[in-house]
Amino acid sequence: MSIEHPVYLEDKLEQIRTSGRLHYRSKSLPTWCPGCGYYSMTEGVTWALNEIGTANEDVVVVSGIGCASRFPFFMETYGFHTLHGRTLPVATGIKLANENLTVIVVGGDGDGFAIGGGHIPHVARRNVDITYLLFDNGIYGLTKGQVSPTSALGFKTPTSPFQNQDEPLNPLAMLLAYGSSWVGQAYAGRPDHLAEMIRGAIKHRGFSYLHILSPCVTFDKTDRTYRRLDLEVRDLPDNHDSRDRLAAMSEASTTDRPALGVFYNEQRRTLGDALDAVVEKAGGVPRRLAVRQ
Amino acid sequence: MNSVQTDVQIAVCGSAGDGTIAVGDILKRAMARAGYRVIAFDEYPAEIRGFGKCIARTRITTGQVYSMKPKTDVLVALNDGHAIPHVSEVRDFGAVIYDSAPIAAVQEGWHVSGHLRPGHLPYGLPMREISEQSTSANRSRNIVALGFVAGLYRLPRQAFIEAITEKFRTKAEEVTKTNVAAFNAGYERGGETYRFDKLEFGPPARRARSSLSTMMTGNHAIVRGCLEAGIETFFGYPITPATSIMERLAVEMPKHGARLLQTEDEIAAISATIGAGFAGARSATATSGPGFALMTEMMGLGVMAEVPAVIFVSQRGGPSTGMPTKTEQSDLNIAVFGGHGDAKRIVLAPTNVEGCWRCAGRAFEMAEAYQVPVVVLVDLYLSNRYETVVFPDTPPFLPKSWKPMHRDRQADLPYRRFELTTDGVSPRAVPGDVGGVHTATGLEHNEFGRPNDLSDMHLQMTEKRHGKLNAALKHPGITVCKRFGDTGKVDVGVLTWGSTFGEALEATILAREDGIRCAAMKVVMLSPLPVRPILRFLNDCKVVVVPELNYEGQFANLISGALGRPVKRFNRVTGKPIDVIQLLQAIRGAAGKRKWRKSAA
Repeated sequence: MSIEHPVYLEDKLEQIRTSGRLHYRSKSLPTWCPGCGYYSMTEGVTWALNEIGTANEDVVVVSGIGCASRFPFFMETYGFHTLHGRTLPVATGIKLANENLTVIVVGGDGDGFAIGGGHIPHVARRNVDITYLLFDNGIYGLTKGQVSPTSALGFKTPTSPFQNQDEPLNPLAMLLAYGSSWVGQAYAGRPDHLAEMIRGAIKHRGFSYLHILSPCVTFDKTDRTYRRLDLEVRDLPDNHDSRDRLAAMSEASTTDRPALGVFYNEQRRTLGDALDAVVEKAGGVPRRLAVRQ
Repeated sequence: MNSVQTDVQIAVCGSAGDGTIAVGDILKRAMARAGYRVIAFDEYPAEIRGFGKCIARTRITTGQVYSMKPKTDVLVALNDGHAIPHVSEVRDFGAVIYDSAPIAAVQEGWHVSGHLRPGHLPYGLPMREISEQSTSANRSRNIVALGFVAGLYRLPRQAFIEAITEKFRTKAEEVTKTNVAAFNAGYERGGETYRFDKLEFGPPARRARSSLSTMMTGNHAIVRGCLEAGIETFFGYPITPATSIMERLAVEMPKHGARLLQTEDEIAAISATIGAGFAGARSATATSGPGFALMTEMMGLGVMAEVPAVIFVSQRGGPSTGMPTKTEQSDLNIAVFGGHGDAKRIVLAPTNVEGCWRCAGRAFEMAEAYQVPVVVLVDLYLSNRYETVVFPDTPPFLPKSWKPMHRDRQADLPYRRFELTTDGVSPRAVPGDVGGVHTATGLEHNEFGRPNDLSDMHLQMTEKRHGKLNAALKHPGITVCKRFGDTGKVDVGVLTWGSTFGEALEATILAREDGIRCAAMKVVMLSPLPVRPILRFLNDCKVVVVPELNYEGQFANLISGALGRPVKRFNRVTGKPIDVIQLLQAIRGAAGKRKWRKSAA
């Protein structure tokens, strides 16, 4: 993406101030490295919340451990900075306790697929009405650059000095196989598209999984760089049918040319709906009804 | 006749598949129906099938008792091989009922009648024959034996027939009919058998009151406490002996509009419980040792982020998988200290079934009042034992409430979720509350919840998290510790916690009959520890005995560590409740030989 005309800082600030997005930002300054993809995600989340018009107090951002873990502090919403790998079950508890809340989970590839991998299938199959923004940079950034479950084969890090020997995971195929009702992919280098995707993921009623590709600008100077990702990413084909799980699976399997867009999208009952049905079956009255715009 | 005080213990012993536990179940339900007080505890193997030993013991009384009896009055042997080791627990002139015409010839030395001691009173009953005659099948041996016991001691037949009908309610009508026929045949035989023991069942005490009393297990009492406290969400993962809490809640919670989810593991269970607690729900989970070990990290987050949650832990034999169907008190350390960091939490250890209900209900109040996870620590013995309990008509538990966020707060000042207050409890806002936006975190933080690791801040916040719990010692509606037996200075004090208290109190009563000045204290709140009353008790006792079902004496360590006083340890790791007679001997030993003999004489 080349800059065709100069952008002045003042103009940009003015634009941001009037956009309404800052309403969702706390006064804490982000602690990420300059150039980090998390800035795009923060922009995207605040833009999407502003677009949807959710009240600040109705949003809960849940994070685990990793570079994403500080994200809730930068938001003027409720937040819960939890344990390494346990974001999804915590978010499940929050959502089941209060269906009126918009629950957004943020985390990295280590938090999600290494220590927390056991929770993903269950939150996906149960279709818990939460949004999972997974930020995949293929590295452990906060502990200074160790190998992760999505690191490429042969990737050299302090804990894989003789190169990574483990086949990387294919998160999109995994999530599709687990029965996630909304699966999409975005790229931190295309912030506008990312923001649109975040909006789609939040608006989806059910479990939405957004895979966000991003480089780690500090600890990965060779493998997953902006330069390389810019060349590799592609849009999903125009004729891709997001109701077709097999087509989605096929698109997800071309990992050398990651596609951006909504891979899969289905409407089915959420865990909250199911538990309300259980209550009705037992002759009770649900205490909280899921209300969502 | 009316003056007869009933205190009879009946043990049924058989092989898995003999219907041993079923007979024990009918017996206790029938006797509770008839208005007696009942304490019952079953022992069974960890395997579903196979030929493991099952024992169902039921103590039937008119007065208040606290544990199983050390000696059994009536032993019913459905399987001779399994029953032989238990003949020794039958008291002098107690009855042993056995199958006098078993299906196959019994090998020499393996018939129970050959193991009776002088003074045991044998009743040979052709169980199989009577079963075949009355039901044209040999499957109802157990019910025949039950009928025989009922007939022999002239127990109220109608109560038994009602209990049998209730037991097989969900099965085909034929099943009930067959079992009633077998029971009646056994009852007739019992009625016409010459009785040479002197066992007497007096009439049940105060019938009117008994109509309000309920017989239930510790786990079901916990469920009742949860429901009466208005539990909103429950997350759990099956594990013996805590599973029956979740199973019963799964039936009952939806009726009250509440939500229960079986999660993928215990880590998810506690995570979701903490999540729901953060969102303002009354939330709980239940587990046992191995699952609790997985939960400790998240419990630490609950302490750090000041999130209310209730964790029910039913202890079993450990470490590792240990003995899943045997009782033990070896998780005190993990309950009080488990996890990393200075993670002070509230730990309640009820001592009886009624206490399970009370602690369960109060745990939700306390979790909210002090914004902390509360562990309710029971054990298999307490989880599974039946007691008759009288519950109040209106539940005493307070509805959901916590110290609210200041409403008159100036809008331009950010909300301080972790405000340092005099009592250490900060005004709380939950997601959805306007003006209460904040982030809770496992990082050390300042009053606003922002990460902060300055020395002063860590000290202030650590003091806050510890100090706020002291008020729990005065929480209304719960007894944190209580003394029983002799008042004033005593020779021996028995300091107990958890299910062991029943046996300890029985042993104390026996020791006092021996003339030993003796008192017992139960400590229900293990964290924070009610130091002052315990210290007062220790000062009153020449010797303190701490009976526990663990190897090293985890409570004794806690007491000695916190109070710097030596105590006499009495530890058993048999997988069974403490033997009252053994404990009595320990009390006698502690009192000094001469003392008790002289006073007893």
